[in-house]
Amino acid sequence: MSVVRAPGSEAPPAARAAESAGELIRLRSVTKDYPRISKGTDRLRTMAALLFRSREMPHFRVLEDIDLDLRKGESLGIVGENGAGKSTLLKIIAGVVRPTSGEVRIEGRVGALLELGSGFHPDYTGRENIYLSSALMGLSRRETRGKVDSIIAFADIGEHIDEPIKHYSSGMVVRLGFAVATALEPEVLITDEVLAVGDESFQKKCIDWLQDFLREGGTLLMCSHSMYHVQTLCRKAVWIHQGRLRMQGESFDVTREYLTYHEEKTAKTRVSQRPEGGLTKIVDAWIERDDGERASTFARGEPLVLQGVAYEPNDRPPVVLFGIIRADGSAVYGSHSNEGGFAPVRLGPCRFGFAVRFEALPLLPGKYHLRVHSLDPPGLRLFDTFEVDFVVTGETRDYGLVELAHAWLPGRGDR
Amino acid sequence: MVSVGPARWGWLLLSFTRRELTSRYAGSVSGLAWTLLHPLAQLAIYAYVFNRVFRVGVPAEYPSVAFVTFVAAALWPWIMFSEGLQRAMGSIAANGGLIRKVAFPHRLLVFAAILATCIVHGIGYVVVLVVLRIAGQPVHFSGIPVALALLVPYMVLAIGIGAFLAALQTLLRDVEHGMQVVLQMLFYASPILYPATLVPEPLRLWMRVNPIGWFSERLRVVLLHGGGLVPGDATMALGCLLVFLAGLWFFERLSPHFEDFL
Repeated sequence: MSVVRAPGSEAPPAARAAESAGELIRLRSVTKDYPRISKGTDRLRTMAALLFRSREMPHFRVLEDIDLDLRKGESLGIVGENGAGKSTLLKIIAGVVRPTSGEVRIEGRVGALLELGSGFHPDYTGRENIYLSSALMGLSRRETRGKVDSIIAFADIGEHIDEPIKHYSSGMVVRLGFAVATALEPEVLITDEVLAVGDESFQKKCIDWLQDFLREGGTLLMCSHSMYHVQTLCRKAVWIHQGRLRMQGESFDVTREYLTYHEEKTAKTRVSQRPEGGLTKIVDAWIERDDGERASTFARGEPLVLQGVAYEPNDRPPVVLFGIIRADGSAVYGSHSNEGGFAPVRLGPCRFGFAVRFEALPLLPGKYHLRVHSLDPPGLRLFDTFEVDFVVTGETRDYGLVELAHAWLPGRGDR
Repeated sequence: MVSVGPARWGWLLLSFTRRELTSRYAGSVSGLAWTLLHPLAQLAIYAYVFNRVFRVGVPAEYPSVAFVTFVAAALWPWIMFSEGLQRAMGSIAANGGLIRKVAFPHRLLVFAAILATCIVHGIGYVVVLVVLRIAGQPVHFSGIPVALALLVPYMVLAIGIGAFLAALQTLLRDVEHGMQVVLQMLFYASPILYPATLVPEPLRLWMRVNPIGWFSERLRVVLLHGGGLVPGDATMALGCLLVFLAGLWFFERLSPHFEDFL
């Protein structure tokens, strides 16, 4: 086992090559066992094993054989069920936990936000806690002093900053914690489900900050149950399932697979309650041009047709819903088939076809997702998500999402 | 492995120490006043018990010294040592939340626990010595630098044992209870309430090799009689340094695994 932190002067040639490629995090077959310590004798045996570096100890495995690479400027999301080992993985990368075996190589300054406000002292004022937790993150006193004002400004909790933080609401503690982390100016930022707390506007502020951080070449590693956050902030994602790497790739692919897994899992539990079996789902969906040719790139103003096939176990036409979302997560438009009184046509037993035609696409150039959902006819419950991506090309100096029909006119100059 | 680490951890050590000190007097209006009042109250109790109730005779080596002065010179360092040890032992478990979430050298918690104890009782020690001097006791202030030179290895020993116990406590949990008994035995087995000369001959050797016995006697000599360091002090300091290094080695060996047990 070797754990290397900080660029070593005698790095092996392979590692040097990795450095030159801008690799900041490199994990090779990382495995973590936690000791079983429910009995006193187990504790003694474990201690002996640790002292004498033998591997004979009662344990259970939480992570097995994880390989991970993260280059400078990349953003990686980690998804997985509760207890899958996501947090342990982040802790290993943050240096809080030592892996049982495998290689961990970290280059550059790592800022870890495993829990906001974990280094805070309840009796200290917000200001005093800024010093304490900056010290914990490795800042010197002088460095902290220069940053205190910007931290306080970011936290934006007013005069509460000079009150003991035991009187703070949890949201205020989170604000302060995130503000301290931003001041560290890390090269790699590790966050564990911390965006879930804090109110809407502060979440937005954090996400804006993270997006700026990424734009300026920062590297992000985050763990979240919010697929929205993963998709918005991360280019790539990994799915950890029962301690192993189940999938690795583009964040949209991984999150879709992960959601599908969850829907199937939920479906399985519901099947037993519903003897007719199965749930409605989108079997396939694609987008094509006017001439019926499948495509993913469209010029501005070109017609776009969404084609789809839905499955409905009771052989009743399902309700279909579509939504267009820009790559940054802003919703553009959505509608469902009930609205226009449309019912998908029956193609065969339990299979229904539908299509949506957009005459002249008014979307401004950029990357978009088209999400299609099927709802069960009586309850209008949403069971399935199918996502297709497309790109609108063209050059524009307009702002916003869509082009609204407009005309420029000479002004009248009076009321 | 055994190093203080980058300079910036020095600032973290200070922050931890400050946090230790604040949390001891958290919520009290006059935190610092208590560090002064507490030792004085204790001194008053001892003075009353030893001078009025028990009427203990002053040992022959210290003819002009009151018994309470004789005890105080060795008792405050012992309080520093034993309380520092106990706080160091609990420091890892007490900061479990931090260890599970933030990467930093865990030994700083042990150092801070002892440092904070030294500050609190160091102030107390000085206050007690000054009050005794004002009361007419022959306390040699010129002996204070020498006493300080003796206290350093004494506390280095506390850090070494404290680090060892902190690691052990984190992994085994029941060290704490055993330690209270051991400390109590050590207290009575060391010449703190009595002079080493009172002990029968077969036990004299123990009084000299037991570092607590050694430092208690030596501190008393330099503060009440004056005088400089003796060669035995260097030997004892070396022994303390070895215990410190061994304790820290043990601690550092296990500290990456603390998170598994917290």
